[in-house]
Amino acid sequence: MVSQPPRDFSALIALVAQAKDRAAFAEIFGYYGPRIKALLIKSGSAPAMAEELAQEAMLTVWRKAASYDPARASVSAWIYTIARNLRSDALRRGSSALYAFDSTFGAEAPAQPDAIVSGAQDDACVRAAMRSLNPDQAQAIEMAFYQEQTHSQISQALGVPLGTVKARIRFGMMKLRAFIERETGGRA
Amino acid sequence: MSARRHPSEERLLAFEAGTLSAPEAVVVATHLALQPQTRAWTHLARAVGGAVLEEQEPSPLKAGALESILARLDDAEPRPDLAVTRPRNTDTSLPAPLRGFELGPWRWAGPGVHVRNVLGPRDGDCRVILLRIASGQSAPRHTHNGVELTCVIEGAYATQDGVFEPGDFEEADPSVLHQPRVVSDTPCLCVAALDGQIVLPGRLGKILAPFVRL
Repeated sequence: MVSQPPRDFSALIALVAQAKDRAAFAEIFGYYGPRIKALLIKSGSAPAMAEELAQEAMLTVWRKAASYDPARASVSAWIYTIARNLRSDALRRGSSALYAFDSTFGAEAPAQPDAIVSGAQDDACVRAAMRSLNPDQAQAIEMAFYQEQTHSQISQALGVPLGTVKARIRFGMMKLRAFIERETGGRA
Repeated sequence: MSARRHPSEERLLAFEAGTLSAPEAVVVATHLALQPQTRAWTHLARAVGGAVLEEQEPSPLKAGALESILARLDDAEPRPDLAVTRPRNTDTSLPAPLRGFELGPWRWAGPGVHVRNVLGPRDGDCRVILLRIASGQSAPRHTHNGVELTCVIEGAYATQDGVFEPGDFEEADPSVLHQPRVVSDTPCLCVAALDGQIVLPGRLGKILAPFVRL
């Protein structure tokens, strides 16, 4: 298959929101559905559960498209958050309350002059920031998203002390933030 | 150097990755509700989650999945929105994340100290309590058996590390004897995640032990 140029998923979500555009939805579904399923399987969901949650996540994308605000979050961060919330809800009672209050990425709070908001909405910037990390930091951060990985499980899997795992994640996150702030000039 | 007043970056990442234990997540969520500036970190963590999502090797959905979803779109009656989850307690003074849980009754837990359970979020021995301590009073001296996370909701307390005010988050050091003292004129209300039982040392601890299960 010929690799396609990256599509503008933000525009596709706007088409879903404004015109209930099924072709646009099908395109979002085709790209993100299988990736959500893959991430959920790596996070410990059984394949049947991952399939169900991925489909439910895509249905949520259709229903909530109007609430997506490209000034607040990248499409991938928004869809990630939807899938994460569905999985948390499936795993434990009451978790919806934990994540609901900030489901709009801070839209309910007064806008803050914060470069993270402007930078984190940009997928390319975040991925470039990830590539700027040293491999140990990037690996620890990525593993934190998989397999219900607690930091001590990561520590066992990598054969390094727990404190080292925490330090890699901490300094990795700081470096990501500094990178994004630098790239976006610290503007709001 | 003053103590940090927000969760560590690695804890915030675990919160957004959905891998923090439920009791710890409750205390972190309370902090985030009261301290919007910390959300810069959690929004960054979500952006990283998005980047991790983008880089997954696609795992194909079942044949016909798209068609079956498309058929459901029309009757897709919006489900109750997460953001308007029905409150499960009537204490409107509590931050939003705590409204989603039923609460146990207030119980006496020492002079000027009351506790009530936040029902639901448990993970093994780890659970969540609300702690209300009167002005000028100290929590019973205790050492920590496992991690204790605390977030101040109202009032303020002081420890050897400084003063903690509404929204401030404290991660207790298990090696330190912890005796916060309330320094606000009003009672101090905190939410805390406790792992295991608090060990009350000394004579008072022995006297209170049969009555107080913190």
